[in-house]
Amino acid sequence: MKKMFVTVIASITMFATTAFADYIFVVPQKPGAGTAVWTAIVAAELEKFLDGERIKIQHIPGGRSLLGFNKWHNGLQDNEKTVMVSNGGNALKYLLDEVEYNYGEYDSIGMMNLTIVTGRKIGASSNNIRMAADSARLPEMMAMMMLVCGPEGAADDYQKCFKDNVIWVKGMQQGTARLAYIREELNHTRENPAAYKKHVAKDENSEVWFTHGLLQADGSHGDDPNHPGKQFEILYEAKWGVAPSGDFYDGYKLSKSFRDGMQKALWIKKGSPDRANLVVALEEMSKNPESIKAIAKKVGNYEWAIGDAGNNNRDNILSFITEGALRTMLKFQNESLGYKSAFKPEIITK
Amino acid sequence: METYLLFLLLGVIYGFFIGLVPVAGATVGLIAVYGFIGYFTDPYMLVVFTTAIVVTSGIGDSFAGIVMNIPGAGSAAATMIDGFPMTRRGESARALSAAISTSWVNGVFWGIAVFFFLPYYSKIVLYFGSIEMFTFLIFAMTCVIFISSKYFVRSALALVAGFCVGHIGLDPDDGTLRWTSILPSMTDGSLTWEHWIYLADGVQMVPVMAGVLAFPELLGAYYTRYEIVKINATDIKEQLIQGIKDSWKYKIDGARGGFIGAFIGLVPGIGGPIADWFAYSQTVAVSGKDGDPVGKGNVRGVIGCEGANNAQKATSYVPTILFGIPGASFEVIIMGLFMYVGLELGTIDVLQDERFFDVLLSSYLWSLLIILPIAYGFIRYAVYITNIPFTYYFWPILASLVWASVQYTGMIEDYIVLGICMLVGLTMKYLKFSRISFLIGFILSARIEASWVQFNTFGYGWQDIVFSPVPCMFVLMSIAALIWGVFYNKARIDFV
Repeated sequence: MKKMFVTVIASITMFATTAFADYIFVVPQKPGAGTAVWTAIVAAELEKFLDGERIKIQHIPGGRSLLGFNKWHNGLQDNEKTVMVSNGGNALKYLLDEVEYNYGEYDSIGMMNLTIVTGRKIGASSNNIRMAADSARLPEMMAMMMLVCGPEGAADDYQKCFKDNVIWVKGMQQGTARLAYIREELNHTRENPAAYKKHVAKDENSEVWFTHGLLQADGSHGDDPNHPGKQFEILYEAKWGVAPSGDFYDGYKLSKSFRDGMQKALWIKKGSPDRANLVVALEEMSKNPESIKAIAKKVGNYEWAIGDAGNNNRDNILSFITEGALRTMLKFQNESLGYKSAFKPEIITK
Repeated sequence: METYLLFLLLGVIYGFFIGLVPVAGATVGLIAVYGFIGYFTDPYMLVVFTTAIVVTSGIGDSFAGIVMNIPGAGSAAATMIDGFPMTRRGESARALSAAISTSWVNGVFWGIAVFFFLPYYSKIVLYFGSIEMFTFLIFAMTCVIFISSKYFVRSALALVAGFCVGHIGLDPDDGTLRWTSILPSMTDGSLTWEHWIYLADGVQMVPVMAGVLAFPELLGAYYTRYEIVKINATDIKEQLIQGIKDSWKYKIDGARGGFIGAFIGLVPGIGGPIADWFAYSQTVAVSGKDGDPVGKGNVRGVIGCEGANNAQKATSYVPTILFGIPGASFEVIIMGLFMYVGLELGTIDVLQDERFFDVLLSSYLWSLLIILPIAYGFIRYAVYITNIPFTYYFWPILASLVWASVQYTGMIEDYIVLGICMLVGLTMKYLKFSRISFLIGFILSARIEASWVQFNTFGYGWQDIVFSPVPCMFVLMSIAALIWGVFYNKARIDFV
């Protein structure tokens, strides 16, 4: 009896730590991962503008961020105060994998529009690109192939370009890849802006090759003010004399828009009465210098698309899903990068 | 600053307490921290807290072995051979004092040697490319199989089993799920196997550590009959002083234990009890020649193995921090805990983090300074904690292990995986398959696979191993470890 009593007390003490909260933010990663850290910072800042209401973060990791979003889609969203925090990985999976969630079915509270910076060792040959592999690096590799092998290529041409010019090193975790880049086993790298600043910018043997630019409200991509003149479209036109176009470019644009345009996004059930409250708080937070500073420290200083602007961004991004773009992107992902993905005609919007 | 101090004191108290609890020790104490990881808003607080636990649990370990004749954790098992007979003679305070003094001095010496210079050692990592890492992993696996366990065939099988479990999840080669099709389903009248999506990110480390390593030890202690011998209160002070004098008198034994412990801590994957047993075996050999045999209550036996205790704990941080390859079982937990707060050991992020190294060094030294007067001053009272029947500890510790293991999703799947791990752990213990080998295989699985892939992708061949100094050295060391482990090693153990 005494033993049972001790066990019950111990258990109650532990469970008591998970206090009730007004809002629940579902994060599809375990604590410590990128989106989880971002959410912790944003939630702490956002709480300051919620008139005493509290946010509890619920981690549902698994399936490389798939499990949590699926569970939210399939039931958790019915609690109208439960918000989904999605990331760029979720967005790419929507295009490439079997998922149960569908961005078109929710309302956006806000999304942070980021870019990825691709760097290289100064003097590294673009005919001998050594890069750590990862399925989420699809946009970088598509951009590289267009910059290296030029315009008007069919998917097969870019596949050959990849085979001839890239050593695609699989199995390297991010930390290992950074070390390998310092040792020059790898000669190309890519990072989010804050990580680039921390790990690559200090290396005087490295240079920024290109960025993907930032998604604009009209659906185009603008130059990243942190790395002016390095946007892919600008470099491409300067090198090849024409603006990028064609199915391969459309596939690239589709992949980068999904991954970077919805890099960090907050979703709530369509029509939720709590949305307005969260949107107002997020707008106030996004204008507060201290909050901006706290968030920028982790991910860099990038713009929010809040409320209806978020929905507008989402609609723009979804409109990029054409059959040609999707098929080309998948072909490159499957046959060049070597990751198995399935064609999903039901997500095509045009 | 005040918060850091608070976490340091909490870590010291918690670590010492968990060290006093029979069978618990650093590994169990650290697993339980997973349940409260959310409280560590600053990653360096966690560094302070865990370092304090590691240091002080090693000091507390000795109590259960010496006073009750059961190990505080695996690392104190050798201590009880001579420690407990001393207790029966009424010399428990002397044995404890000798154990604490020797362990403490070696902890200070090797701690400074490791943590003060660790930022400089980190430069070595820049010379460790894919091929060096590949051969280093071969060396680590050879040591785990042939040095640590008495039954190396079973140890090899356990390592392969751990490697296979570590393979579950996403295939890095093509991004598909691997070995997750384990849910039976009837489709059109035929049996098919569907993916258990829960496993897509792999089997999590905490339930494996809790179920395979910690739970069988807890259960074993629950059913162990042990003697309780009260400490003799009349001459504690004299015995304390005598224990310190013994440590000085047999300083060579203590220093030898320290060297052995430090060396074994540096070798990835085999730190822990093996260091104590090996140090003890050398003390047996030397004392026999001196005509002063140990094994029946000789304080030299206590000093010889306790020298290795904190020394190996300090040096096992070296492979863990520099290469992300755990030097001992508790380092596996440390790695996982640090990962939660964004400190990924073995990566450039941590190796360039000066604050991390500063915090590690200062918390290590402060913990040692604080624990010494506590350990000496509270010998009599600390023994009361050790003497509380283990059945009272069993349930709270089990609850904390379960709680820590279900922090991943908090759903039923977490409990199922933990249950499976517990069954696997009990079976392995019963059949004497090395659970440490299993864990090392599990932890290093991704590294081994990635290393092999990179070895091929970069186009390396066997000639690169033979004609490059560092890889060649590791291959030769692997061969030496294999020969020594099979033919000459007398200090292998069979209980982990």
